[in-house]
Amino acid sequence: MVVKEEEMVLVTPGEVLGKATEVKAGKGAYVAKHNGLVYASLTGLLRTLSPPPDSPDQRATVEVTGHKAHGPVPEPGSVVIARVTKVMTRMASADIMCVGAKSVREKFSGIIRQQDVRATEIDKVDMHLSFRPGDIVRASVVSFML
Amino acid sequence: MEFVSPEGLRLDGRRPTEMRQLRAEIGNVAKADGSAVFEMGNTKVIAAVYGPREVQNKSQQMSDQALVRCEYSMANFSTGDRMRKPKGDRRSTEISLVIRQTMEACILTHLMPRSQIDIFVQVLQADGGTRSACINAATLALQDAGIPMRDIVTSCSAGYLNSTPLLDLNYVEDSAGGPDVTVGLRLLSCGTYGYTLGPMD
Repeated sequence: MVVKEEEMVLVTPGEVLGKATEVKAGKGAYVAKHNGLVYASLTGLLRTLSPPPDSPDQRATVEVTGHKAHGPVPEPGSVVIARVTKVMTRMASADIMCVGAKSVREKFSGIIRQQDVRATEIDKVDMHLSFRPGDIVRASVVSFML
Repeated sequence: MEFVSPEGLRLDGRRPTEMRQLRAEIGNVAKADGSAVFEMGNTKVIAAVYGPREVQNKSQQMSDQALVRCEYSMANFSTGDRMRKPKGDRRSTEISLVIRQTMEACILTHLMPRSQIDIFVQVLQADGGTRSACINAATLALQDAGIPMRDIVTSCSAGYLNSTPLLDLNYVEDSAGGPDVTVGLRLLSCGTYGYTLGPMD
């Protein structure tokens, strides 16, 4: 995507950025269904991104970058680094400290199940021999817990 | 008692449709994700926003949207006489609910499922219009935290004394016994101004 020259326009939530038929709402913008306009949802600098030339939708994307960078949030599929806090017979609790290469601002907690520790002989895993409280593990997130 | 003089001046020298001096600052509470201090004349309010973060009470977690919580309290020293019970009383609970409903209508909660946004508002100096100052401070704090919102919410109070409609009542005018209303407006995304709350005290 090619970025047009930055015009340093500061926008606030609720400001109209364009019509939904002409621009696509990126990060920091949303489309109001009742009148088809794209509004900003964050306070920050407005950027307009040109669409890639081969995509069927040739609308430019407008996005607003806030001044505060939010911490990353783990999602299924992301690789995380966590510290083990509790070890039980069939699972271990861990606190996620980094998502990918970035450290989180707010602690997320997760569990490592017995059947997810290794690929073979998953019933014979002894959690107490595999983990101790304080261990640092690299893991891949399987799913959210209900 | 005369609240509006024959020349059309109020007790503090304002005209009936004149607001008090406004002052705002953001980023005062470094540890919070977003914070703001808002002053309307002598009323001073501080708001701190934490979130989006993991829900502390898992039973309240919503899988499709964020949980918005709000707590309003008045500092003991905010009023003339030292307050005995700064929070937990009926008025604080009602105002907390009102602020929560107002901000929840504006936050794009569906973008942050399974998370929680906490808004803490505390009145440092109370001179009438604390409800409005809290909503204004909460809006600024939410924007400072970078939480996506539909619109900016602003609020002000109004009343009717000595047959004159008055804007932005201070404590003396508020306790005079006339009707008053606090209105929250979504500024920009409505074609005509729409109100989000309007309790008559």
